[in-house]
Amino acid sequence: MEIHNKKLDKKSLLEERNDVLQQWPTGDAVDLDEAMRYQRDIPESKRFSAALARAETNNKTLLQPRAGVALLSEQITLLQHLQNSCDLLPTTIDAYTRLNRYDEAQVGIDRSVKAGTSLLNGFPAVNHGVKACRELVESVNKPIEVRHGTPDARLLTEITMASGFTSNEGGGISYNIPYSKRVSLEKSIRDWQYCDRIVGLYAEEGIIINREPFGPLTGTLVPPFVSHCVAIIEGLLALEQGVKCVTLGYGQAGNLIQDIAAIHSLRDLAHEYFKDAGFDDYKLSTVFHQWMGGFPENEAQAYSVISLGATAAALAGATKVIVKTPHEAAGVPTKEANKQGLETTGQIINMVSDQKMMPSPSLTQEIELIKREVRAIMTRVFELGDGDIARGAVAAFKTGVMDIPFAPADCNSGILMPVRDNNGAVRVLEKGATPLPDDVLAFHHDCMAERAKVEGREVSFQMVIDDVNAISQGKLVGRPKDPVLRAL
Amino acid sequence: MTIATRSKKQITVNIMSSAINTNKNHENTSASNSAKTTIIIGVIGADCHAVGNKILANVLGRLGFNVVNLGVMVTQDEYIDAAIEHGAQAILVSSIYGHGEIDCKGMRERCDERGVSDMILYVGGNLVIGKKDFADVKVLFTEMGYDRVFAPSDDLEEVAEFLTMDVENKQSANQQWIVA
Repeated sequence: MEIHNKKLDKKSLLEERNDVLQQWPTGDAVDLDEAMRYQRDIPESKRFSAALARAETNNKTLLQPRAGVALLSEQITLLQHLQNSCDLLPTTIDAYTRLNRYDEAQVGIDRSVKAGTSLLNGFPAVNHGVKACRELVESVNKPIEVRHGTPDARLLTEITMASGFTSNEGGGISYNIPYSKRVSLEKSIRDWQYCDRIVGLYAEEGIIINREPFGPLTGTLVPPFVSHCVAIIEGLLALEQGVKCVTLGYGQAGNLIQDIAAIHSLRDLAHEYFKDAGFDDYKLSTVFHQWMGGFPENEAQAYSVISLGATAAALAGATKVIVKTPHEAAGVPTKEANKQGLETTGQIINMVSDQKMMPSPSLTQEIELIKREVRAIMTRVFELGDGDIARGAVAAFKTGVMDIPFAPADCNSGILMPVRDNNGAVRVLEKGATPLPDDVLAFHHDCMAERAKVEGREVSFQMVIDDVNAISQGKLVGRPKDPVLRAL
Repeated sequence: MTIATRSKKQITVNIMSSAINTNKNHENTSASNSAKTTIIIGVIGADCHAVGNKILANVLGRLGFNVVNLGVMVTQDEYIDAAIEHGAQAILVSSIYGHGEIDCKGMRERCDERGVSDMILYVGGNLVIGKKDFADVKVLFTEMGYDRVFAPSDDLEEVAEFLTMDVENKQSANQQWIVA
């Protein structure tokens, strides 16, 4: 399959739409002209792009939970329970729908009805269809985004955009590599060009729908430069299809300086690459995801992890923060636990957001480091694609120039291996085929050598395992348990 | 079972020289050794959580098992196919995303139908939606026919000890049956 970063031709797009809308019976109800009239009537107070623009102007960090259950009435109850404790609402889609397994989602709905409780980990929006989704949107008082993990989200996008959702999370890389096993990158990038083009069609009619590439990827020790490259590429792909409002994301790593530097550098780099590509008619915002890895079971400890994430988001000046819950270690939270996560975060955001993070040499150094890493990778990606970022991205993953740690997808190398340094910042242990400059690699090596010396052990994969488990076990850095800890 | 590794002893392997199961998910078999117990691992259903799976493969491999890792999004029949193909003693099913109750049901019956009714079946992870008492979860999955049920915080070395014990019991039970 050939792929190019070119705006999809409208005539062939409309032909493709006919097939997409037949993938499940609920596709019949999507009428684009009628959908645009419906979207146009949505009040500003329930429009994502407007809320983000206000937050950018006022330097506010908005709060958004994750939330999705199997049945419509339950989903309405859930969002109504959360809406007064947050600024933006989600609807998280179940895992069967994410893989286009609508028949299995139907089994999940039927069993949930029988059990009297949700047996799905999200809201199967395609099965519910436009009418039910509109009932959901009309039952709440905040802007609402569809959040999922779908490599082929064409039908889901059609249905949710027609239903009045004003933001769509995802992208051809970020919703493939962390979420699927055997989907080719060409296919997922092409299918997301479709999703972006649909959002672009709405934009042509003056209806601005927000698009959010998924920042945290596998959520496990992802170095900032790795996720930044994906975010910037997906931003460029979206803008090409006519998207006008982009939110780029990053998942908390845990070291405060690195996390703040990540949001600062993401914003700067995105503008740099977007403007270089000739775009100036767009709105950019950022999203900070509270820790996406394993959580402590103990709820008091979980609140601490949530609080550190809230602090970093506010100090970094992210436009919004995606909030975790004290039930994270156990999986899908109750609505009460979900609200508690929001209230914890809200208190911190309010207390921290008036404070400014003073510029410091270590923050500047970290920002510059991330920028150099991203530019080194991006330069190579453009070369691999002969200037075409879509082709370049496919080639970059094939050759390991781009490589996401701990990802399930076959099209990802999985050789790049991260580990924390002695301060808990995520560094590169094994670079794989990523073209990081020699002096940058030497810096990463020195950081790890410092930790190895302090812990009195060799740098090894055991260190990585210890880091993966550390936060759920009450720490940031996965220190050895028994051995001599020199100088600690 | 998935990522908890409260190791009593530190196992250190040089990252450059070890065959870490981090490259590819599918059919990652460590060096075959007939003396080793072969086990099948993977994440069931539509679940794409890969981190714990990669760590499980690495740690159980280092603890002496011949690990066949099917990666994420594995169907019941794919586990059983792999178990038959590799002559495995046990299947370790992981589920993190909450659909475990739907995905794991019928696995024991499927083993019976496929002629491997003595297969040791373990299951672990965040197996149901929401925060439930683990004792209830254990009962639910034991009734489905799983021999042991683990929480995310369970020690992987303990899982390995149970596995060794259950495999030995199974083999001596089989031998007694042959003698009788």
